[in-house]
Amino acid sequence: MRKVYLDHCATTPLDARVLTAMMPNLTESYGNASSVHLFGQQARAAVDHARRQVASLICARANEIVFTSGGTEANNLAIRGICEAAVPHGRHIITSAIEHPSVRGPIEEFEKKGWQVTRLPVYENGIVRVEDVRQAIRPDTVLLSVMLANNEIGTIQPISDIGTLVREISEARQRSLRFHTDAVQAAGRVPIDVDALGCDLLTMSAHKLYGPKGIGALFIRRGLRIAPQQVGGHQERERRAGTESVASIVGFGAAAELAKKEMHDRNEYVQRLRDRFETGVEKQIGDIVFNGDSVQRLPHVSNISFRFIEGEGLLIHLDLQGVAVSTGSACSSGTLEPSPVIRALGRNEELARGAIRFSFGKDNTDEDVDYVLEVLPRAVESLRKLSPLTHQRSIAV
Amino acid sequence: MSYSEIFKDHIANPRNAGELADANAVAEETNPVCGDRLRLSLRIRDGRIEAARFLAYGCPPTLVCGSVLAEMIEGMSTYEASKLTRRKIVDAVRGLSAQKQHAAALAIETLQSAIQAQSRNL
Repeated sequence: MRKVYLDHCATTPLDARVLTAMMPNLTESYGNASSVHLFGQQARAAVDHARRQVASLICARANEIVFTSGGTEANNLAIRGICEAAVPHGRHIITSAIEHPSVRGPIEEFEKKGWQVTRLPVYENGIVRVEDVRQAIRPDTVLLSVMLANNEIGTIQPISDIGTLVREISEARQRSLRFHTDAVQAAGRVPIDVDALGCDLLTMSAHKLYGPKGIGALFIRRGLRIAPQQVGGHQERERRAGTESVASIVGFGAAAELAKKEMHDRNEYVQRLRDRFETGVEKQIGDIVFNGDSVQRLPHVSNISFRFIEGEGLLIHLDLQGVAVSTGSACSSGTLEPSPVIRALGRNEELARGAIRFSFGKDNTDEDVDYVLEVLPRAVESLRKLSPLTHQRSIAV
Repeated sequence: MSYSEIFKDHIANPRNAGELADANAVAEETNPVCGDRLRLSLRIRDGRIEAARFLAYGCPPTLVCGSVLAEMIEGMSTYEASKLTRRKIVDAVRGLSAQKQHAAALAIETLQSAIQAQSRNL
């Protein structure tokens, strides 16, 4: 059976060139980067080199990069680190309605502790409005966290416009309001310049850009004070204690360098596949709704709601035919949690339950698209035949 | 937990899907919490289920439990069918995780409603 992986927003395969770069640090170069001897020096040199490669991807300085265990830890470090350090200045956070759980989670924790949180709406196109940000900022706002690109629908947020606004307000108030952006889905997919974006903190993860799992990074603008969450070691300039995972860091560096070099070609390629897929789906399957802005989005993401059916059923149908996709909704213990992202677009529960994310990658082919266009309409038809919602509609018509 | 081969087979090849034009016992139940729906139509003659069809909307276990149930009850007496338990459905699909047991419960609830509906029609 043919296997087609269309879940590159969940994770990407490790690039063979990245693995090659990592191998010495998994074998003969096993030193601890904090050790003084030659083994340690080799490891330190490898980490420093990778730090420069990762910094270069987002036009930052190497000493502004803190390696973490992944995107979740980096998001937690950004939010907790800023809010805990900012307690005397205020207890108000602004975020968007479509953030990743690793941003939502720590913010909800602060909310439980009595902090106030403003969640910005995203409207039908899945994009935050800068004017809403302006309206939401208060004298006691200490953190604004809006993702660069959404993980379910791929919409790209107006981060540089928000950054400009934050700078203006910070200068007028003569006190800093910190601006964090979760760029886990965007890093390596869209060009990023942290100065042009105007953010103070930015989160990245290696495994979303053909690097290894278990390694991420937080960009922390020079001079910014942050409360460390991992203590008990001097690593990462006292901002994240723990022995560096040298091989993973080296892999992240190699993946970042390749992503920067090949970004244009990769994007052009996956967008062509994605667009051909969407055209085919639109032609062959009725009663569908595309979710998210059709232009302001990542080039490899397509999110479609199929009416009358539930996404998880479609996911399993496709999985049985070798096609890997993803759904944002989850049914457990008899309670359904329809995707909060799709709900935030104003879609009803049926459309939120029927949403599927297809995310393409550089190793997908035209034959993969052909195969999915062959099996997907059959799977949708099969599930619709079973659905009482389809039958109700036929009776109504 | 991963799904059993029988589970996958029912997903790929649902049994007894649809509605019976000459049904004399029909029920549709909804899980009020998650919104999963199961519709069962039965043709019952002389206390025996001659034919059963189902329609389902919801997570894969709901679709599979509907399919398993509709196949299982054809030929059963209504008395036998009324004694079926959630456990029987779970065993027939070779197990469901604790989080997905609600699908088997919905199947049994819909079956009982259909049998009761037929009794009322007599």
